[in-house]
Amino acid sequence: MPRILPQVLRNLFRRPATVKYPYVRVEPPEGYRGRPSIDKERCIRCWLCIRTCPVRAITVNKETKKPSIWLGRCVFCGECAEACPTRAIIMTREFELATYDIQQAKSE
Amino acid sequence: MTFVVPIGPQHPALKEPEYFRFEVKGEEIVDFDVRLGYVHRGIERALQERSYLHNIYLSERICGICNVAHTTAYCQTIEQLAGIEVPDRARFIRTILCELERIHSHMLWAGIAAHEIGFDTLFMLFWRDRELVLDLKEMISGNRQTSASNTLGGVRRDVKPEYVPKILRTLEKLEKATEQYINICTSDRTILARCAGIGVLPKDDAKKLCAVGPTTRASGVDIDIRRDDPYDAYGQISFDVITEPDGDVLAKVIVRLREILESIHITRQAVKALPKGPLRAKITPKIEPNEAIGRVEAPRGELLYYAISNGTDKPERVRVRTPTYANIPSFKPMFVGGTVAEIPIVLASIDPCFACTDRVALVDSHTGKTRVLSFKELRRWKG
Repeated sequence: MPRILPQVLRNLFRRPATVKYPYVRVEPPEGYRGRPSIDKERCIRCWLCIRTCPVRAITVNKETKKPSIWLGRCVFCGECAEACPTRAIIMTREFELATYDIQQAKSE
Repeated sequence: MTFVVPIGPQHPALKEPEYFRFEVKGEEIVDFDVRLGYVHRGIERALQERSYLHNIYLSERICGICNVAHTTAYCQTIEQLAGIEVPDRARFIRTILCELERIHSHMLWAGIAAHEIGFDTLFMLFWRDRELVLDLKEMISGNRQTSASNTLGGVRRDVKPEYVPKILRTLEKLEKATEQYINICTSDRTILARCAGIGVLPKDDAKKLCAVGPTTRASGVDIDIRRDDPYDAYGQISFDVITEPDGDVLAKVIVRLREILESIHITRQAVKALPKGPLRAKITPKIEPNEAIGRVEAPRGELLYYAISNGTDKPERVRVRTPTYANIPSFKPMFVGGTVAEIPIVLASIDPCFACTDRVALVDSHTGKTRVLSFKELRRWKG
């Protein structure tokens, strides 16, 4: 008898190990590094985030004169959030970032 | 009369491109050759163009599966360059993350090996239990794979006291599951028929060809950087180095599975002995001219970093030697004398993870001669 049979039989009566993703969502844990978001009110324009970003994903928005993060380049390391002296940048727990519009792939 | 059977470059073993050339006489393999370099990314050059702090995230991306091992080795090397002392708590947290990564990497490999011999049930079971470790990694570091937790002079995140019960609970579950898998792998007839006595790497060859990691430990060579040159907190933790005398694929499976148990043991000790104190030491962006070497036992074997500094905030040169590169020569004794049917599992048995320089081989069908084309020649060539 194959040695794995007891495991296989037990699995028949177990609930599935996977979740039906788009219908059932598993919340990421506290402290998950998802999409970074910038609080424009709090930003004091010290540009520390631009200097610490390892992939140069942060640029200055010409109209608002505030930083904006291009998510196509961002590696979600969280260095900018750590460097920000006023905690204007935080890492949210959002992870569904696929989009058709390139303008959407930016932190607002 | 021999024939040449090309395997690859499309995903020969794992999901990575590499080209293997087998010379076969009927079913028997008589010669073996390998061409590396389909995934050359110029990372060593790129490391010279960025500052020391930015390089952490580049070195993390050399290998997705052993990312903590890469950043640990990189940080260790740069800390030696600059003469930084890492705080105790940071060293223990690095150890915990390294061992969690080893568990997940070995489980991933065991799953792929099971898939390679056509045992998909076991593959599913292994990958189901691998999720437990990934959840722990996500909880501690904030991401499943690229943990971004190491930094120069320490770690960026703490293992909070409220994490400890969950870590211990999951490790217990994993230990039970792994013991069961070892039981299955040593007694199931399908696995024994496909793995026992196949792809044998004799002890002499393993030593002569400088194989590293589980590949060489499965041949009875007793080396492990964690014990021979202790880094992080390994000097303060007691653990065994797992070896098996046989050198075949089954021995490699058993060594990796038993290493999971050992890793669970190490993680438990490290979590319980976690000292109090600061997480990171102060660093300066510029480093005086110096050179240093850092060694880490990655899941696949010895990982070596070498760095030279020149007084600026960028390194003059960084050299990385990954464990798979050291293990490639040991393919030859494993293949020659075997059969075509065992190619996939033997290829997978060293847990390959490729990166090097690129070329193409041409075989003339009339004379049977082989010529190597460079990338430039290939672009001009219209055959």
